[in-house]
Amino acid sequence: MFRALRSRALTAMIILAPVALAGCTDATTGNGSGSGSGEITVAGTYPIESLDPHGPQGGGTGTQLAARELFSRLVRPKADGTLEGDLATEWKPDATATQWTFTLREGVTFSDGKAVTGADVVASFKRLIDNKGTNAANFPGYTMTATSDSEVVLKATKPDAAVPGKLATFYVVPASVATTDAAFFQKPVGSGPFTVEKFTPSQTLTLVPNKNYYAGAPKVTRVTIRKMPELAARLTALRTGEADVIWGIPDDQLGQLQSDSNLTVETVPSTAVFTMWFNSSTPALRDAAVRRALWQAVDFQTIIKQLYPQTGGLSDAPVSPITLGYVAQQPVTYDPDAAKAALTAAGFDFSKKLRLQFANAEFRQFNQAVVSDLAKIGVQIDLLEKEQAVFTKDLLALNWDINFQQLSNPTFDAANTLGRLYPCAAKRNGYCNPQLDQLLSAAGSSPDQAERVKLYGQASQIIWQDAVGMFPMAVKYAYAWNKRLEGFTPDPNGLPDFSTAQVRSS
Amino acid sequence: MIRVIVKRLLVGLLVMWGAASLIFLIVRVAPGDPATILLGPDADPEQIAELTARLGLDQPKLTQYAHYLADVARFDFGESYRLGRPAMSEVLERLPATAELMLSSTAIAVVFGVTLGLLAGARPGRLVDRVVSASTIALQSFPTFWVGIMLILVFALWLGVLPSADAGTPAHLVLPAVTLALPFTATVARLTRTSVAETMREPYIQTARSKGLTEPQVLIGHALRNSLIPVVTIVGLHMGGLMGGAVIVENVFAWPGLGSLVVDAVASRDYEVVQAATFLIAGIVMLFNLVADLLYSRLDPRIKLDTVS
Repeated sequence: MFRALRSRALTAMIILAPVALAGCTDATTGNGSGSGSGEITVAGTYPIESLDPHGPQGGGTGTQLAARELFSRLVRPKADGTLEGDLATEWKPDATATQWTFTLREGVTFSDGKAVTGADVVASFKRLIDNKGTNAANFPGYTMTATSDSEVVLKATKPDAAVPGKLATFYVVPASVATTDAAFFQKPVGSGPFTVEKFTPSQTLTLVPNKNYYAGAPKVTRVTIRKMPELAARLTALRTGEADVIWGIPDDQLGQLQSDSNLTVETVPSTAVFTMWFNSSTPALRDAAVRRALWQAVDFQTIIKQLYPQTGGLSDAPVSPITLGYVAQQPVTYDPDAAKAALTAAGFDFSKKLRLQFANAEFRQFNQAVVSDLAKIGVQIDLLEKEQAVFTKDLLALNWDINFQQLSNPTFDAANTLGRLYPCAAKRNGYCNPQLDQLLSAAGSSPDQAERVKLYGQASQIIWQDAVGMFPMAVKYAYAWNKRLEGFTPDPNGLPDFSTAQVRSS
Repeated sequence: MIRVIVKRLLVGLLVMWGAASLIFLIVRVAPGDPATILLGPDADPEQIAELTARLGLDQPKLTQYAHYLADVARFDFGESYRLGRPAMSEVLERLPATAELMLSSTAIAVVFGVTLGLLAGARPGRLVDRVVSASTIALQSFPTFWVGIMLILVFALWLGVLPSADAGTPAHLVLPAVTLALPFTATVARLTRTSVAETMREPYIQTARSKGLTEPQVLIGHALRNSLIPVVTIVGLHMGGLMGGAVIVENVFAWPGLGSLVVDAVASRDYEVVQAATFLIAGIVMLFNLVADLLYSRLDPRIKLDTVS
């Protein structure tokens, strides 16, 4: 009996020994780096589930983050939102902005050493269209042809001045890649600054420099992008040195990071705007006077000051200041008494509840504050925090009265937000105004950039004055990184590029 | 015994069919659909319809169910919409990490839980018993999520002796395994305490004492073995609960296991992965229960295997 017990005790000790031993060894020390010399570890907020930039998830943040490290584009946005050539050295439209000609950079090769040609660009564009992902919707009926190895021409079905901006999400892969080719995208060949060393979908992406990168191989030896969904884990990993870069940091955590002498903390203006559409097809919200009054009843300035002192600013347009087409509008002044009077005059039924929907717990406090302000003038709101799947379905079905979203714009062009979401045909928020449609159409097709900005300004004015929604806050993204990282540039869309970063030797 | 095991396995097949059918129904009844999630809020209705058809989700539910059952019979759970890989391969790839976490935490819980329960149950009402009882109540009360964060703060951030997240070395296992084990340790300790306290009042314990055995000999040699039967039961039954805890722990510690895979799959309505994972988990829980039943008869020969459960 005792022998048997001793044997069991021994077995238990054997099982537990590694765990106990591990507590005494192999510990990560604070203020060091979890990565080796020249390596960067990124603690990512969102999973990278696919590396296929043309697939259904091509528009997703995780795939976009990976794609810009692995593939080249014809053009790409700089941190200030202006475009620069990537594979293309120059691009120009015809007189009607219906046909765009791109001259390709010479001497660019894929990571396997094969040259990038016009045929690869054309095949990639066709693949994007054939896959019918969200990015493909930017190019309805558009075609691309290669006039030579170093020139491609994109033909639009109607004048489209926003083509270069839209191409910021178009990535080039070898022409040989089939429409669906999961095996290729497990370890893809691209012409971007990095290649894949290892990819575990939804967990880890490990990148190593592409020695054939036309602008010179990155100086870091390895970049590991690791999914860490929990904010506390990301913050701790950064402070212990297990991670080198994190972003999407809420305001209440910034102070602690800013006081850490090993870290650099920066907030950068983004393309994102908090957008709270009113469903104009809801009987109670059909009247623009009602929508304006509701906007007037919320003290957004105070809410932003309290909740987003470092990462928010009162918005003065439906698009962010770094977006092409931004024109500042007259701020809406908080005046609850005037709001209540306007609602009463408009015959607003205070006994009926309005449904305010949002997804993602990080926006809960903001929306609760909005509900609280509206309650002060007697407007009742049913605050509905929905799971993303349900939120998206209800959003598209207009199954809401007020919808909260953080709308960002990877193209930095108002065509992608105003031009796409506000025409009658879009049916996104129940609002329809033929005059607005005309302005948006003209702004989207004019080859004259100044004219486009002017037209988007006029369109913004209609959207603003008719209160198609409330546009409370322009968002800044907060980044924090280890000071041993040099040359790291925060990105306005939360998609930083690691090709310019290098690790300072200690 | 073989006959009983075969019988239990045959019943298990029926259970697996039920689990597979139930999860098929549940994921499809849940609001939201894979195409809308995959394409995101920027998609237009035509794109959603196109992708829905491509995924075969436009077919009648009964047709989908028939195809699904035929595939399950071949252990083929289809391809993940999100990950573009066979769903069961993805699940099996993540299983070892979760198994490592669950087995480690079970080992910790059993060793510490039984020890604490034994110490408390040997002298009910004494100081040790009170301390153990109070501690176990506290351990059961703390939310796993909070415990995980606290352990990270203390051991990773303040003391700097353990990594806060990720996997790969034994050191990475310590905090998630302890986090997962703590509430379970409390359960095992409380159960063992009650069981030992009852056993110590049995006549055969008095007989053992009257034979001149020391108290440790009585406790370990006579009381412990009989007190272990309820513990074995709870360990067997608790595997499902541990799986639930693993989901939270894996998220807190960025542990690359099955739990986080399932959470992501549910959130993105990745039917194939949810179905594959649920099927596998159901199978594992069923096997653990069978093993627990087999252990009963080993621990107490008076218990006949075919009367268990």
